[in-house]
Amino acid sequence: MKWLKPLREKSKRTVTQLGKAVAMTAMVGATTYSSAEELGYPEKEELTIGFIKLTDMAPIAIAYEKGFFEDEGLYVTIEAQANWKVLLDGVIDGRLDGAHMLAGQPLAATMGFGTKANIITPFSMDLNGNGITVSNEIWAQMKPNIPKMADGRPQHPIKADALKPVVEKYLSEGKPFNMGMVFPVSTHNYELRYWLAAGGIHPGFYAPHKGDTSGHIDADALLSVTPPPQMPSTMEAGTIYGYCVGEPWNQQAVFKNIGVPVVTDYEIWKNNPEKVFGVTEAFYEKYPNTTIRLTRALIRAAQWLDANENGNRPEAVEILSQSNYVGADYEVIANSMTGTFEYEKGDKRPVEDFNVFFRYFATYPYYSDAIWYLTQMRRWGQISEDKSDDWYKELAAKVYRPDIYAKAALSLIEEDLTMSEFFPDFETEDGFREPQTHFIDNLVYNGKKPNDYINQFNIGLKEGDRI
Amino acid sequence: MSEASTVGQVESSKQPLLSLLNDLVGKTGFTPKSVFQTFVLPLIGVCAFLLIWSAAAQKIDTSLGKFPGPAVVWEQFGSLYDEHVTEREKAEAFYERQEKRNAARMEKDPDYIPKTRAYTGKETFLDQIGTSLVTVMSGFLLAAMVAIPLGIAIGLNKTLSAAVNPVIQIFKPVSPLAWLPLVTMVVSAVYVSPDPLVAKSFLNSMITVMLCCLWPMVINTSVGVSSLDNDLVNVSRVLKLSAIKHVQKIVLPASVPMIFTGMRLSLGVAWMVLIAAEMLAQNPGLGKFVWDEFQNGSSNSLARIMVAVIVIGVIGFGLDRTMLSIQRYASWDKSKSSH
Amino acid sequence: MSTLLDISHIDMVFETPKGPFTALQGVDLKIAEGEFVSLIGHSGCGKSTVLNIVAGLLQATSGGVILNGKEVSEPGPERAVVFQNHSLLPWLTAYQNVELAVKQVFGRTKSKSEIKEWIEYNLQLVHMDHAMHKRPDEISGGMKQRVGIARALAMQPEILLMDEPFGALDALTRAHMQDSLMEIQQELNNTVIMITHDVDEAVLLSDRIVMMSNGPAATVGEILEINLERPRGRLELAQDPEYTRLRSEVLKFLYEKQRKVESLIKNKDSTVSKRSQQNVAA
Repeated sequence: MKWLKPLREKSKRTVTQLGKAVAMTAMVGATTYSSAEELGYPEKEELTIGFIKLTDMAPIAIAYEKGFFEDEGLYVTIEAQANWKVLLDGVIDGRLDGAHMLAGQPLAATMGFGTKANIITPFSMDLNGNGITVSNEIWAQMKPNIPKMADGRPQHPIKADALKPVVEKYLSEGKPFNMGMVFPVSTHNYELRYWLAAGGIHPGFYAPHKGDTSGHIDADALLSVTPPPQMPSTMEAGTIYGYCVGEPWNQQAVFKNIGVPVVTDYEIWKNNPEKVFGVTEAFYEKYPNTTIRLTRALIRAAQWLDANENGNRPEAVEILSQSNYVGADYEVIANSMTGTFEYEKGDKRPVEDFNVFFRYFATYPYYSDAIWYLTQMRRWGQISEDKSDDWYKELAAKVYRPDIYAKAALSLIEEDLTMSEFFPDFETEDGFREPQTHFIDNLVYNGKKPNDYINQFNIGLKEGDRI
Repeated sequence: MSEASTVGQVESSKQPLLSLLNDLVGKTGFTPKSVFQTFVLPLIGVCAFLLIWSAAAQKIDTSLGKFPGPAVVWEQFGSLYDEHVTEREKAEAFYERQEKRNAARMEKDPDYIPKTRAYTGKETFLDQIGTSLVTVMSGFLLAAMVAIPLGIAIGLNKTLSAAVNPVIQIFKPVSPLAWLPLVTMVVSAVYVSPDPLVAKSFLNSMITVMLCCLWPMVINTSVGVSSLDNDLVNVSRVLKLSAIKHVQKIVLPASVPMIFTGMRLSLGVAWMVLIAAEMLAQNPGLGKFVWDEFQNGSSNSLARIMVAVIVIGVIGFGLDRTMLSIQRYASWDKSKSSH
Repeated sequence: MSTLLDISHIDMVFETPKGPFTALQGVDLKIAEGEFVSLIGHSGCGKSTVLNIVAGLLQATSGGVILNGKEVSEPGPERAVVFQNHSLLPWLTAYQNVELAVKQVFGRTKSKSEIKEWIEYNLQLVHMDHAMHKRPDEISGGMKQRVGIARALAMQPEILLMDEPFGALDALTRAHMQDSLMEIQQELNNTVIMITHDVDEAVLLSDRIVMMSNGPAATVGEILEINLERPRGRLELAQDPEYTRLRSEVLKFLYEKQRKVESLIKNKDSTVSKRSQQNVAA
């Protein structure tokens, strides 16, 4: 398996160890609390955690169903939320103790774009997991522009260049080209924008200082907010021509025969950080043990999800298809969760890393991940003024809390519930990944130099630009 | 009608159910005609509906598959019940685990005061029904506690009535759903408690229901009070009844029929609004169930939503009938309490 | 005979949208204890207004009413009213209707059993003891009026005010009620003011008939003493020339001296009294 390479390089035994660790977890599970003395009991035991019906909420569902929360002495109620705004408000006003969040949400809230509140994230929930889907009508017009492989199937990754003539045709006919994303600061917004812009389609600027939060300034494609589960039906109704969303809502379009996923975010930016787990800073200050224990439970859940070479995934899919979690049919969720992804009906291709929950240090809250989101906020005008590189780093350090993560992980290692190989070296890790390649437009991202990164884009605000 | 009733009798000899009804005639004193009207006609209506439904369902293709017919929906009734039973078993296991965990902690930490936390699993369909019913009833009763005294005051006092009337008239036609965001924000701002007695979401739904019940009750009560027969007022004056006795002995009983009409009206609306509010605000209850199922978009979703639709209808009907019986029992004016 | 009730110089002016309307002007009337006085006159002549002023339900614009040496300023149970359409509380039984009045008047002075006895006594008086526990919608119009009278009597008023008590009843029932009323009057010798439209009723029941002139600015026209011997029998009186004379006196007053030009089909003066009460309430 491709994804196993980095682990293999560290230790040949890793894979079997991963398996062992999980097996141990199951055995030791019932007596975990006995060794929790150093950590201390949770200050708050009854918690409510919010989520949006997306497969990447899996760590929360697994932590509940596998008893990882209970092992920490936490009694957690898991509640589906209507949309990202309701979810964020819930965390801010205390109705929810924590939630599955878009990576951009804690950053934007702390910065004060939208609702202002200090939210921190001790745990990154997954890598990848999103896709862009267009309606059948748009697909029919795009398809002629896409190079074919020998077997006649479209060559991947499909770039927005193929969509550009279609958008131009609509614009010349005076029809606005509407697309859906799930939230102004969502990964999906930035991914959709990245993909469109890489293909020369302008997704529009924001200008919050002028009161314009629609993001439609200079836009070729008009992006608007639709809650994830409503994406397929909104597209079916003709309100939008395409959307960027997490699973299972791309696969759902295939099953319902109403649209075709054209590209996954894995292809836009290989192993991009996606959801995070967010709590308010005040919550952590008031309930440090609870926060660390939540993180412990989530780390164990993520580990379980990726263990045995995705061998637990079918069981995970079974759990997620329950109506109180994601609730979609087993087949729909399984399509993406078990290492494949179905594009055009029948065109199912292997994407082992479509959902990554644990490997590649997926759960570690890297500052560089946070900074990438901030660069995109700056690129599209959500941050209306130039900021220094230090500003980016300071904000990232305020929101992303590897310190909490480290406490959780180290205590788990001590209890033999996981192994140090699965984590960065906490002694030396500075929170910045090596400069990252594998973007669809072949640009390189170095989290230490955000302003240099912004200046590379053809479309988007650069240093000194202001709407 | 006489023709129709003979048809009923002829059929009754063939069908066991109808012959059973025929037995009823003998035992309860129903005439064949009234049996026909009370039992057979509605039965025919329901059967016809089921037939049309299942025929139409075959023809409707949605992106989630065929529209569910009666048989599929019936199946979901069963599976929802099974889920409920399973969840209850899980709850028991949860409490057992918790007890063990508490005991283990007690050993290590003698100062620890064990606490039993409520089951954290999902709310089943039956739980959601219960939640909705409790919400609607508490909002309704709360509204009655505010609206009836207020309505009486307005009905008695022309000055107050003139002052309050514009406010009532403006707020009455507002859908309580428009209030929902405001209610939500105010509740979360004002209702701050580390260990809340009731959940905020419950409070939001309940206040929304209350706002919806309030106006019809206030208006009906005040109209009932102000249209009090002048002669009865004079009786009270001649008897020199004190203000409290006047309200207690004359005003209140005289307005009971109108008050109950208002209550019944508002309960009907409240039930509808509650479902919508639960859908909108994702507050626990049947509305949330419907919305969650819609969002799940699984192949069972439509059938499950249909189950909820039927249950909502049956409960709405039940609430109305219950109110009607209470109204008939409590009201002296039998002419106004018929539907 | 001593004067129990003194109505002196009563003027009544109602404010209407079209300007002030003088309903009564200079009404003077003295009523002795134990006297039965009828007020008769055409619709709209203000009979009910007079009665309502005595009851205290309306306040005279000028002039006043003195009962037993005290000025009347508000309603009270010592001036019990029998309303035209019985005005029983529909949610209470006959017994409970009377009970409400009795408890209000004697709640402090009578014991529980005395109250019960007193209620039953008064209902017996009007021959309603057999239907004591029925509600108004379960009994006939005449029976309802009997209960209304029992309620008024049970208050032991100093004066009993009756506003067309039998106006809504059919002729036979009315005759029964009149006989009952005479019987009760024989026993209790109450002071009564009764408003009526019915000339026979007035002559049959009254000691004096006060005939009112037509409004606006209505006032006492003539007063007729009825010196027929009591107990009076309806059949005997029919033959009595004095009865016939008194009857024609009243008719003459009504249909010659105070002939009403408007159509007689118009409603009884209750509309006026209702309007006036609304004015008061407003």
